[in-house]
Formats: sequence, C-alpha cells, structure tokens
Amino acid sequence: MSQNQLLEPIHGISLEDYSAACAKLGNGMDEQAVAGALGVELPVWQEASLLWAERMKQDSTFEVITLFGQYFGQADQHPKFSNATAGASGGGGYTAQIKADRAFYEELEVARNVAYEYGLDGAQWIVEKYGIALGDFQIAASQWNAEIHADLQADFEGYSQRQEAYRAKYQQLFASAQGGNVADDITF
Amino acid sequence: MPEEEKKRTQSFLEKLKEKALNQQNYGGDGTFEEARMEVRDCPNCGAGRAYRDGLTACAYCGFSFMDIKLTDGIHIKKSNNS
Amino acid sequence: MEEILKQTQERWFVFLEKLEARMEEMCTAAIPELKKVFEEDQDPFKRAHGRMLSGLLGQLRQMREKADEVREEKIIGTMYSVGDIAYDFREACYDRHNEFEEKLQRYTELLEETAERRDLEAFYQEQLAAFEAIRDKFTCKQCGGKITISKMFFIATYMTCSYCQTQNTFLPSTGAQLVLHQARSLAEQRTAHLQKAYEDGYPNDPLLYKQYLRAMFDEWNKIVPDMAAENEKFYLRLLKDNNIEHP
Repeated sequence: MSQNQLLEPIHGISLEDYSAACAKLGNGMDEQAVAGALGVELPVWQEASLLWAERMKQDSTFEVITLFGQYFGQADQHPKFSNATAGASGGGGYTAQIKADRAFYEELEVARNVAYEYGLDGAQWIVEKYGIALGDFQIAASQWNAEIHADLQADFEGYSQRQEAYRAKYQQLFASAQGGNVADDITF
Repeated sequence: MPEEEKKRTQSFLEKLKEKALNQQNYGGDGTFEEARMEVRDCPNCGAGRAYRDGLTACAYCGFSFMDIKLTDGIHIKKSNNS
Repeated sequence: MEEILKQTQERWFVFLEKLEARMEEMCTAAIPELKKVFEEDQDPFKRAHGRMLSGLLGQLRQMREKADEVREEKIIGTMYSVGDIAYDFREACYDRHNEFEEKLQRYTELLEETAERRDLEAFYQEQLAAFEAIRDKFTCKQCGGKITISKMFFIATYMTCSYCQTQNTFLPSTGAQLVLHQARSLAEQRTAHLQKAYEDGYPNDPLLYKQYLRAMFDEWNKIVPDMAAENEKFYLRLLKDNNIEHP
C-alpha cells in the first residue's frame, strides 16, 4: 500500500473505479449509469468525482495523475464495468484495432486533429467513420503513450516523417471535401 | 479575377458555417435542464429513507441502497453511513 | 546574380501580399458571422462556434505553412546558391516574412476574441437570480412538505425534509452546474488587473504574484463556497510550486 493519503478511496470509490468511470463517460455512458455500475447514487458519484479531480490538482508528486492515466488505459478490464455496453463505440473491429495496432492509432490521432482544422468535431468524425468512441480512443492513447514517447527519443526523425505523411494525407482529404483551401490558387 | 476570388472565399465560408452548425455534437446536444427534486424509496419494502437512519441501507428491511462506505466529503459525511 | 535576387525578392513580396489580402478578406467576412454563430449557438459549450473558429484557424495555419514552404525552398534555397552577396536580400525577405507573421497573429487573435468576449459575470448573475426564483418552489417527494434550498448547490445533493426527515435528492440546473466549471475563469476575470500588475513587473515580483493568487482564490471561494476547503489545498500547492512561503 502506498503512503500517499491522496490515494485513499472517496466514499468507497477508488482511483481505479474513478479512472475507469471517466473512460466510460468518454464513451458516452451517462452519469446515472456510471453511478449505478459503481453501486452508488448520483450525489455520491458527483462528490467523489469532483474530489478525485481536486486530489490531482493538490498532488505535487503527480502520483495520482500518473496512476489515473494507467488505470484509464485498463478501463476495459475493470470488473464493475464488464457488463457495460460499448456506449458510443460500435464495438466493431476498429475499436479493437486501435488498441492493438499502433500505426492505426497514430494515423487516426493525426486525422482527428486535422479534422478540427477543417471545422469538424474530430471526436465525432472518428465515431461516424470508424465507430470508435472518444473514451476508447483515449484508452488507446494511454496504452500507446509510453511506447510512442520512447520511440520519439530513439528515432525522432522517423516519427516526424510518419506524422507529416499522415498530416498531408488528411489535409488533402478534408480540403477536397470542402472544395479546397481558401488560398489554394495563390502560388509563388 | 478579384470577383472570382471573392466567390472562393464566400463559398468556403458558407460551407464552413453550414458544417459547423449542422454537425452533430459529440455525445449529442447538451441541453439546459431545470433543477429538480427526486426521492428513492426502498425498492424492497417501500419504506422511505429517513435522515437519522443514514443513506446506505434501509432501516426497516436492511436493503443496501449503496454498497460502499461513505467518507467525509463535501456535503456527504461519514455520519451518513447507515 | 543580382537580377535573380531582385526577381526572387519581388516575387516573394507579391506572394505574401496576395496571401495577406486573402487572409484579410476571409477574416473580415468571417468575424461577423462567427459572432452571430456564437450568439445563436444553443449548446452550453458553444461547440458550433468552436468548430467554425477552428476551421478558420486551420485555414490561417494552412497559409502559414504555405509561406514557410516557399521560404524554405525559394528564399533559403536562393541564398545558398548565391553565397555571401545575399545579405541584403536575406534581411529584406525575412523582414517581410515577419510582417506577414505579425498580421497572421493579429487575425488569429481577432478570430479568437469572438469567443473570449463571453461575459462570465453576466452568466453567473443570471444563475444567481434563477436560483433565487426557484429556491422555495420545491416540495418533499414523500410527504409534500415544503423544502427550501438553503444555498446554491452545484452538484446533486441529498436534502432532508424537515417534516418527515426523508432524504430527497436535489439536482441543480445545468446552468448552476456550469457555474462550478466556470468559477475559476470568472475569478480570474475579476482579478485580471492584479495578474497584469504582476506580469508587467520587471523582474516579476513574487509578492505581487502572491497578492494576485490570494485575491483570485478569495473570489473563487466566494463563487463556490462549498469548494473553499479544497481550493485552499490547491492554493498551498501553487505557493509551494512557486517557492513562495506561507503565510
């Protein structure tokens, strides 16, 4: 057991519970359902949720927020949410793929950001196109984070080139869908 | 030429605005809901939940409203355990 | 050689002028539309406005990338090919590019301001008035007795009926819940002058920072008194992070 008092459960809701609940909320599960899955009523969930966020703000050791990220990535294994429906995710192959295939995750992460630059809600675009809900997307992000970070240090050049190529691909895709960019006709 | 350029910008803006207005918000539309009051009776024996008996279990039949131990939070306190 | 430099410089200037003219045209036409969308957006998070703004910023970014690319290929490329004599050419081309960047920055700010003018104070006052209007309109779901809400709540809260002692659950309005999320920003707006006083100092005076922080947290606690105990713990952490002694 850690000595950090800030890791003690709040109203019986542990950091594992809270982190998994956040992932499920991101997938479109509503607060009542989240509270129900945790075996508490709404006022108890809302207090605990508010206070866990406070603890992250108060913790200068970053232990709480680090563990939050780790547990968030393991949300699918949390026993209290094992019966939860897939939420906004179609539950199809893409949701599994983004958690198993790093290149696929990297590509969609870029696509999502470029979508915003073209006036689309990137999270919504991913749902419509691939059936992957935001919570699942973020679960994948926290699963791949450490690996990507290590890769960045080992081969920054290669990583940037891949990112650039994805960027160019989606810029073209979204630009042509809106009839081009405003300054496409201006050349040197 | 300048006319054509104007059209280009105008058509971009129109499309962008339409796209911004018509795309569904992630997680559906947020709506402003009014405040309201609810109550939860014991689903097992129908008894109401009185303050002195705590929040977590029914004082009459022992039904567990919440299977957790309340701690000292903002409004909810340890003393609210049944 | 000289001729190549002269021509390249001229083309660079014309190219940037055209981009600037397009930028101006787009932003001038977009800003009133953007304001209208902001006002008419019914979503509590103003997401339609957010999408439109982000689409416009995306186009500005696209123009910036376009200029960067040409600078890399044509301007720097030319400099390398002619060697030392390119000094004036380089200065002139870089200065012109900086001017372009400044314009782009100004337009970025103008677009973003269409949202920043959001009046958090007015929204908060509206919510206070709305709460005053409903606070004594509730009854116990068990016995029908009147329940007056003692103060403004921002999250779902148990409420005890004073007649039959039943635990009711009060669910605040969406507006009241939003106040909790906007409380810090509102407190920052109210104390912006103190933050500015700190930031304008050279070198920055830690005492002024502490003054600002204390005033900001006082305002924050006034807006959401229930959070004061938690806010104070966060306050202490910020002091510690900034190596400021307490008290």
